[in-house]
Order: sequence, then C-alpha cells, then structure tokens
Amino acid sequence: MLMTNISIAAVSHLTTGRAQIGTSLSFHLFFAVLGVGLPLMMLVAEGMHLRTGDPVWRALARRWSKVFGVLFAVGAVSGTIISFELGLLWPRFMAYAGGIIGLPFSLEGAAFFLEAIFVGIYLYGWDRLSPRVHWLSGIPSAFSAAASAFFIVTANAWMNVPRGFQIIDGRVTHVDPLAAMFNPAWATETSHMVLGAYLATAFGVASVYAVGMLRGRRNAYHRKAIALGLSMAAILAPLQMGVGDLLGRTVAAHQPATLAAIEGLDHTEAGAGLNLGGFPFPGDSGTVLNVKVPHLLSLLAYDRPDATVRGFDTFAKADRTPLAAPARLAFIGMVGSARAWLRSASSIGCGVARPGRAPRIAEPSWPSPRQDRWRFSPTSSDGWSASSGASRGSSTACSGPRAGSPPRPGSAPRSRRSRWSTWG
Amino acid sequence: MSPAALLAVFLGFALTAYALFAGADFGAGILDLLAARRAEDRAVIESGIGPLWEANHVWLIFAITILLSAFPTAFSALGTALLAPLAIALLAIVARGAAFGLRSGLDDQTGPRVHLSRLFGAASAIAPLAFGLVAGGLAQASSSRSVARGPVSVPWTSPFAIIVGLLAICLCAQLAATFMANRLAATGRRELAGRFRARALQAGAGSLVFSVGGLLVADTAAPRLYARLTDAALPLVVLALAGLALSLLAVAGRRYALARAATLLAGAALVWGWFIAQSPHLVGPLLTIHTASATGPALTAIAISCGVVLVCVIPAMFLLFSMFARPSQR
Repeated sequence: MLMTNISIAAVSHLTTGRAQIGTSLSFHLFFAVLGVGLPLMMLVAEGMHLRTGDPVWRALARRWSKVFGVLFAVGAVSGTIISFELGLLWPRFMAYAGGIIGLPFSLEGAAFFLEAIFVGIYLYGWDRLSPRVHWLSGIPSAFSAAASAFFIVTANAWMNVPRGFQIIDGRVTHVDPLAAMFNPAWATETSHMVLGAYLATAFGVASVYAVGMLRGRRNAYHRKAIALGLSMAAILAPLQMGVGDLLGRTVAAHQPATLAAIEGLDHTEAGAGLNLGGFPFPGDSGTVLNVKVPHLLSLLAYDRPDATVRGFDTFAKADRTPLAAPARLAFIGMVGSARAWLRSASSIGCGVARPGRAPRIAEPSWPSPRQDRWRFSPTSSDGWSASSGASRGSSTACSGPRAGSPPRPGSAPRSRRSRWSTWG
Repeated sequence: MSPAALLAVFLGFALTAYALFAGADFGAGILDLLAARRAEDRAVIESGIGPLWEANHVWLIFAITILLSAFPTAFSALGTALLAPLAIALLAIVARGAAFGLRSGLDDQTGPRVHLSRLFGAASAIAPLAFGLVAGGLAQASSSRSVARGPVSVPWTSPFAIIVGLLAICLCAQLAATFMANRLAATGRRELAGRFRARALQAGAGSLVFSVGGLLVADTAAPRLYARLTDAALPLVVLALAGLALSLLAVAGRRYALARAATLLAGAALVWGWFIAQSPHLVGPLLTIHTASATGPALTAIAISCGVVLVCVIPAMFLLFSMFARPSQR
C-alpha cells in the first residue's frame, strides 16, 4: 500500500512539473514568436515608408511597434520565469546539464539583452531620432531577436540529440560546450524555429487585418498589412517546407523512437506508409480517420521507399515516452495547419501581389494604376485619400491610423510610386 | 585568477547591476503605489520607467545564466532550498511585467487601470522583499558550521533575512526617489522634486535603520556571519553605511545628483559586502565557488561569452541611457 502511494505520488509530481513547465513554455513561446517576427515586419513597413513616403506604412509600423511593446514585455517576463523554473522544477537535471549546455543560455541572454536595449531605443525613439536613424536602430533588435531564438533552440536540440559529454562512473566528464551546442540537430531545429516564428507572425498579422476587412474596413491600411504579411509568408513557407523535411530526416536519423511516436507507427514496417490523419483513440491503441500512403514515410525519412522504419512498440519501455498520443496529435496539428496556411497564402498572395491586377479581396471601385488621378494628384500615392476611399467614409474615419505625416508638399509622384500603388 | 573566481566576479557584477538598475525600477513601482492619489507623480514615474525597464531586468537573466552554466550544483541547490521565496519573487516579477504592459494602453482613473496600477505597485514591493529574504538567508546559511550532507537548508525566514528584505524595499524606494528628484530638479520642476525628496528622506531613513538593525541582529542571532561582516567585508559595510548617511544628508540639502550617486554607491557596497561576506560559499557551507563549478572547458566558454556580452552590452546601455536621460522635449 505504501509503495503504491509513493509511486502514485512520484508520477503525479512528475506530471505536475511537466505540466507547469509545458504551460510556461507555451505561454512564453506565443509571445516570443511574435517578438521574433514583429521587428522584421515593423522594419519592412518603416522601410517602405522611407522609400515611398506613403504615410500608411509609417502608420502601420507605429501601430505595430506599440503592440510590440506590450508583447515584448510579457514575453520577457515569461522568459524570466522559464530560466527560474528550470532550477525550481528540475534541479537535478540542471545540476547535471547546466555545465554542458549552459553556453547557449548565456549567449541567448546576451542576444536578449541587446534586443531589449534596442527595442527600448526603437519604441521610444519615434520622436527623438531622425527617420533613417530610427529605422537603423530597429535592425539590431530584429537581428538579436532571431539570434536569441537561434541560441535557445540549440539548447533544445541538445536535449533531443545530446552530444559533447561523457558519463563515466556516474560523473559528467569530457565536457565540450561547442560540441554540445552544435549537435547534429542544431541546424535544422534552429532554422525551422526561426522560419516558423516569421511565418506565424506574418500569418497572424495578416489574419488580424483580414478580420478587419471582413468587418468592412477596406482601405489601404488593411490591404498593405495583409499584403506584407502574406508576401512574407509566400516567400518563407516553401523554405519552411524544405527545412521541415530536413528536420524530419534529422529526427529519423537520431531519434527513431520520436519518429515512431509522431508518425503514429506502432509496429516496424519495411516500406512504411505515411499516416495522414490517424487521430489516437482515447484509452486504446487504435486510431480513427486514417489514410495511409504506402512507402511514403520510408521515402521521406530515409530516401528509400523500402527502408525499414522501427515501430514504437519495439523500443524498451524506458525509452518510450508516455506522451506518445499527445505528441502525435500535436504533430498532426502542425502538419495540417501548415498545409492550410500554404493554401491560403498562395491563393490570396498571388491575387494581391500580381502587378496591375486588382486583388480579389479588394473593392472593385479602387482605382487601378492606369487611371490618371494616380499619376497627377499629389496625394494619389496615399490610397485612402483618393476619392473612392473617401466614399467608404466610415472605414477611414474609425479604423485609419492616427495622423501619419501628410505627403511632402510639392512632391510630384514619381513613376516608382505607381508601381507600388498596386499595394494600396 | 581561476576561471571559477572570474565567473564569480561576473556573477557579482551582474547581481550588483540588477540590484541597482532593477532596484530603481522596483522602487519606481513602490513610489507609484505610495503616490496613489497624485496622477502627476505617477505620470512622471511612468515616463521615467518606460524605455529602460526591459533592459534593466535582463541583468537577472544574465545572473541566472551564469549561475546555471558555471555553478550548476549551486543553481540546483538554490532551486530546492529556496523554492518558496524564489517562486514568490517570480510571481511578483510576472505580475509586475504584465500589469505594466497591459496598463499602458488604458486611460487613467478607469477601474481596470487603477487595479493594474495597484497590482504593479504591490508586486514591485514584494519582489525586492523576496530577493532580500533570499540574500539574507543565503548569507546566514553560508556561515553555518553544519557539514551534514544532503539538501541544503537556508533560513530565509530568520530575523536577519527579514531585515534584509525590508532593507531591500527601502533601498529600492530610495534609489527611485533620488533618481526622480534629480531628474525633476534638473528640468526645473521643483515642487514635484520636493515631493520625491520627501519620499527619498523616508526611504533613506528606513535603509539606514534596517542596515544598522541588520548588523545588530547578526551580532546576536548569526554571530559567525557578523564576524565575517566585520572582518572580510568591513570596508564595504562601512562604505555602505557612509553612502546611506551621505545620501540622506544630500537629499536634505537638496543636492540630488550627489544623493543619487551616494545611493548607487551604497547599494553597490551592500551587494558586494553581502557577496564578500559569504564568499567563497554560494549556497550553504559546502557549495563554494570551487566545489560547485562546472568543468574547465565549460567555465572557459562561459567566461568568454560573458566577456563578449559585457563588451557589447555596456556601450549599448550607455547609448540607451544617454538617449533617455532627458525627457522628450517635444
């Protein structure tokens, strides 16, 4: 009886600890991902303003920087919690691992430090710095954000594929911090994370403004935001697919038990098929709604359609995660949502970005670049001050940005502007 | 200097920077709480915090990463022995950050904003209290004679620890008040500066009382610690007390720049005095800088990365501070 009580207590403590750090990580990741992607989007928007003089871009950049300030603050404190919690929840693990994988944590702290400083300069320097200097001050923060994501993911890569140390007689020896940090999974995991952060932010921002559009606020402000988000996504999503494939191969090569868990492969198969779907059935080992594509898993994982993929059941119980079903569900969610994103990005993105064509989501009465008023009116570069925009008056009054700087007086629209006017 | 000792110096430097910079931030929150009815005071406090507070709090992450990578067994012992006060400090930091971030978009005097402000202020007081308890407990544990193996026990609820916690609160408030008074006087807002002067006097008196009180309590309740404080750390203790006294006199005489410098000096001396008084121990009598350190290659790698951090970060921090030293003229 006592032994049962002790074992129950041990399991529930472990589960509680996992639940707590899992919750903290998920919470932090939400804000951290936006903290990586938004600086890039703000810089692009502000850069577009510097290049074209269009105040819509500046208004977008300013609005995003205001939002970013709050997100960054919450992301920063949630990140502080995690570094604390590593010691509070997993002290024995940290005693053993801290000396091996501590280097990327320090470097991540350094990158975050620089980011915090330059974010402070950028967010509060709108009125203190000249536009060009202000834009330049945003570059270190975008770079540092990506760098800190890079460093911290090398630590996670080490947790997946541990290298750079030996355990002799129960003691950690022969520690090589660089080998630990640049373990076999470092390149694929870090690039997948950073690209994922940019993609999530791009889609997230675009979706916010898409909702605004569905509510009737159809103006240049919303269109430019969506265009920027989806253009970024259109460029990065194919890259992410490629990186995802490489990461899958890394998992197949170094973490066969994980591969079996996330692909839902219970028994070893030669020429293993890829399970599309296959949601784990609660309480049993069955799955529902599965379509199995023959040979595809072997092909993806090992480049040979007849390769043998080890099944989950063939691993020793100690090497099998008890969380295989949630891992499978999470993996299905990731792949499924990625496919949905790609589809929406390609269809809308093509419509928005193709030059000379009015986007499908646009109102039909927006002036096309060929109309004269775009070329000769000094305010023509600003889409919503053109007459058709004003006729939908409610949209500009309530959802337009706070006053951006008016177009420079006396500036004739250059031919370059008419090219960009497809975006507005 | 051995890599472990060098990293201990970095750790001390990071903790001092955190205590001074983030201490001023916590103090600003405490003053915000105390100035509940004066919107003008609170607006001034908020404009002072805004650009700097993120950067100030990163020193804590820097200190934690040094600890976890260079002294992993000490980090682990800290997590087990001081789980409660560190968790409290953590929750306070979270609540503070979230409240500050969320309230910045709200209009003044509305219900949610008032609640968030109170949360912000209360959390700003709890965090230094918790860290002070941790510091006091660690100092007392380090001089313990017990050599029992097994989990370290840190007396973070002892009278000495409680006094150190209260000292931390007063010091934070004093840092913030002298900063604000100096800034306001420099831009000519004398009446406002006068209100922060009053707060600085109150906080300064509290700091002095609690530091002397702490020494007296150590004399009776933690004699071995008192011996360390008056032996190895004596110059720093004297410097701290002198700095606190000078700060009080300077504030009374409306010499705010001098008061700010004296408070900073006193704060740094207090942190280093604490560090020296318990060195080479980190957590308890057995875990020292040398016994708790990671392997050689790891220490070298961390030391190099710390050096790189300081070389990159310190100039950037100067840039940030110099940009926002004066309130915006527009």
